[in-house]
Amino acid sequence: MNSKQKYVLIVAILLISAAVIWWLGSGGEILSKDGIWVEKQMTELDKTLGLKPELEFQEKFILGLLPHTAVFSGIVVVISTILFFIFKTKKTKETS
Amino acid sequence: MKTIIKTFFILLVAVSISLAQGFKVKATGEKSFNFEDKYGRNQASFFSTTPLEDITGVSNAVMGKVTFNVGDVKSLKGSISIPVASIKTGIDLRDEHLKSDNWLDAESYPEITFTIKKVGDVKVTADNKLEAKVTGDFTAHGVTKEVSANVTMTYLDESEQTKQRASGDLLGVQATFNIVLSDYDVENMVVGQKVSEDIEISINIVGSSAM
Repeated sequence: MNSKQKYVLIVAILLISAAVIWWLGSGGEILSKDGIWVEKQMTELDKTLGLKPELEFQEKFILGLLPHTAVFSGIVVVISTILFFIFKTKKTKETS
Repeated sequence: MKTIIKTFFILLVAVSISLAQGFKVKATGEKSFNFEDKYGRNQASFFSTTPLEDITGVSNAVMGKVTFNVGDVKSLKGSISIPVASIKTGIDLRDEHLKSDNWLDAESYPEITFTIKKVGDVKVTADNKLEAKVTGDFTAHGVTKEVSANVTMTYLDESEQTKQRASGDLLGVQATFNIVLSDYDVENMVVGQKVSEDIEISINIVGSSAM
């Protein structure tokens, strides 16, 4: 493994680790979501009427493992593999 | 003989009154409540689990009307319905799948309806509040099955406070019940995810006697 290959490997590991950390920080959801259901604050009248909090959809991107984190990691792996072999070939040519 | 008949009649009336369970509010007699809310504050929702995530679906287009004698909730009659097209799950693709032929087939069966048949197990928890088991016909995807819902009803006579929401007396209804998807000829896959057979349905609505 030459220095360029090492560099590719480190960058790939860093990018995938960052994606996984971001995914875990977003709640570790399996599927990505465009929003979440949240309970609306109830009025005194709603409480008197014996109601439960109304659900309201709030737009908010939540990074999930599928598809975003997995696709991003997959692309990083594919690009790194290609670069890894390109740099390996170049090294072979240099030595010959 | 007349005395016996009179006594029997009085006893019959007394027994009927004692068995009647309802609200002890200012309003009396038969009242009708309309649940259509132009501001979309009435809500019906469902909850289901899949191996990948939990799915919540919501409709704010609840329609319906009930009629009952204020002093006897067992006289409750009426129905509640929602348009299938109004259900939102938070993911557009999934909403489209829900309305498709494989699922609820919104084009052929545009509404989901609950029609009240019987009220039982009435438990009065306050003068204006009671809990009951309401049995009715639940129709979805063109199939009708009998279901029982646990219902909490709250009656509010018209006041300055109730006018904030609507004019007339108000009836708050909170109900939950479960259905089994296969009973309604609905396949339990949505956007490639296997959905639980049991779906929990929750209704959170307020009706007005003035509409």
